[in-house]
Amino acid sequence: MIPFDATADDAGDRLANFEKQLLTLPSRKSYLLPAFHMAQQYLDWLPRESILVIASHLRIPLSEVYATATAYSELRLEKPEYGAWYMCTGVACEAAGAQRIIAAIETVPGKFGRTDCQFLCSLAPICTDHRGRILGRLTENRVRAIFLEDRGD
Amino acid sequence: MTIQQAFLKTILDESSKHSIAQLFIHKGTCGEATDIVSVCEELGIIELAMSLNAKIIETSCDGRCWAAPSVTAQKNNDRGASYSRRFDRIDLGVNLKELGEVLDLSTVHNVFDDGATGLTSRFGQLDGSLLAAVELGAYGVAEKVFQQDQKSILSKIEESKLSGRGGAHFPTGLKWKLAAQNEGPRYLVVNAEEGEPGVFKDRHLLEADPHRLIEGILICCYAVGVEKAFVYINGQAHKGIESFMTALEQARNSGITGPEFLPEKMTVDIEVRAGAGGYVCGEESVILNSIEGARPVPRFKPPFATDQGLWGMPTVINNVETLAAVTTLWQDFPPPTKLVSLSGNIARPGVYEVPADGTLSWNGFLLSVGAELETVPAILLGGPSGTFVHRDKFEEQIEMKNIGAGGIFVLSPNSSVKEITNSLAGYNERESCGECTPCREGTMRLTELLQQETVDLKKVEELIEVMEEASLCMLGGMAGRPVKSAIENFPATWISTER
Repeated sequence: MIPFDATADDAGDRLANFEKQLLTLPSRKSYLLPAFHMAQQYLDWLPRESILVIASHLRIPLSEVYATATAYSELRLEKPEYGAWYMCTGVACEAAGAQRIIAAIETVPGKFGRTDCQFLCSLAPICTDHRGRILGRLTENRVRAIFLEDRGD
Repeated sequence: MTIQQAFLKTILDESSKHSIAQLFIHKGTCGEATDIVSVCEELGIIELAMSLNAKIIETSCDGRCWAAPSVTAQKNNDRGASYSRRFDRIDLGVNLKELGEVLDLSTVHNVFDDGATGLTSRFGQLDGSLLAAVELGAYGVAEKVFQQDQKSILSKIEESKLSGRGGAHFPTGLKWKLAAQNEGPRYLVVNAEEGEPGVFKDRHLLEADPHRLIEGILICCYAVGVEKAFVYINGQAHKGIESFMTALEQARNSGITGPEFLPEKMTVDIEVRAGAGGYVCGEESVILNSIEGARPVPRFKPPFATDQGLWGMPTVINNVETLAAVTTLWQDFPPPTKLVSLSGNIARPGVYEVPADGTLSWNGFLLSVGAELETVPAILLGGPSGTFVHRDKFEEQIEMKNIGAGGIFVLSPNSSVKEITNSLAGYNERESCGECTPCREGTMRLTELLQQETVDLKKVEELIEVMEEASLCMLGGMAGRPVKSAIENFPATWISTER
């Protein structure tokens, strides 16, 4: 999904869509985490605009909504890179050669990040590719093959 | 002969001996991550199934993650038996010379026999429909249990000695009883956060057999008198969430969670909540805060959740596997079992079912899962709050109930214990929620100390003691465990300095 951009033409529409969906949640504090998930589902991250409407709908102080959002590692308070690869660097993946894969990914064009354990240790090393697919028992060759495939070679 | 041809030939040979009724395509997270879809296309599985007159069933990983991407052929007439036995299993990724070995071990799913009536009995067998689950016994136990009064169910759970499978091993029967004796409304929270590196059994349960969890939830709600249950699932377990939501919808639509199936006067509402990361979110009081919409930080204990949990009301918090295991207590076989998650330097990483009260030597266990013992310097038991077991201790008997949440990572000859220890210490530092000083500051100082060229072991020991004694929750309390155990087991790894 393309991350929400407040300056883009579709910003108003995307925010309105999210708000419309948000109103389906009961106006209670207990729905804060579901509201965050909903925002990421519609906007890909939690821009300031989304925090404002969540606070207003759930009747929670803005500062508390923000403070709670900062406590979850999977909530994104900054606009993420679009289409990046994320390599797992948990213990099992490191032991299975995550660093070799990282070296291979870094030689091909594209954006790249690292994550902590993704809890798929039996398939190590694993990575989430730019399309959001989980790739297990990953090899350098498979990384290159996917890049070539995308280029249409 | 290519591996694909060998696979096809084996299935065809077998089909001439036994008629193949079903081909199971294992499409869980494990299958998808290893590209099962293109393997099926390459193999022409659809054509093969049609030519054999076999039914194609798209199903989950069956716990044998090592075999993914994989397809299981099942012969006819096994469905009516008490367990279904597979006769063929081939890892499409292995070399031809290894094929023989894999075939020989094709029916090894867990440590004792097939364990076919245990927790994993329906793994990799269901097509995602309620009917398939019910045909293989789902909700049969609940139906029987609903004929009994709550008191005798609580006694049965206590007698069974079932204990928490999230790693803390608190007696489940006692927990239920404590909550039941308090005035309601009461809540049930299912801890499906499973955010411990090296542990992936609950995800497999959610993907492979979600109806078993729902059945366990219903039994608990009946026995304790709960009207509202929250299932808090790790936000990264997309397939697990999807699979559980689908099963819940099926159960609702067919009346299983309604008056048609439940005992008189019992009502229950089950709500799914997705987590959003953080190792600390697996801590039970953190989940309570998270569900209430507060910051995900631990609470002081006491009061315990069975007295004052969600919104101050009595709450039972159980791990996914604990509730799933409840459904196995009313049968004669097998004895209570538990799941372990195996990864690292072994031929067959995956989810295994072992006797919960049994003892095994590490040697025997590791051999049975395909480890080459001479290449294993140690194992790490339980991730960032776990301990190392040195190979010198592999002869010793280990009680299965002492292996925490059951995450076992097998080290390889080129693993550096120091690097692993530092990586775990770094993980604990990043995951500390910051609520209490001993953990927030302690995990940071511990990482710093360990990165020194000469490590002040005395200081490390003192710091760990403070964290153990004074941290608000077990993240801080146990963050020093792997460090302590690494230093004990591999003293030569650290150049120590006396103060």
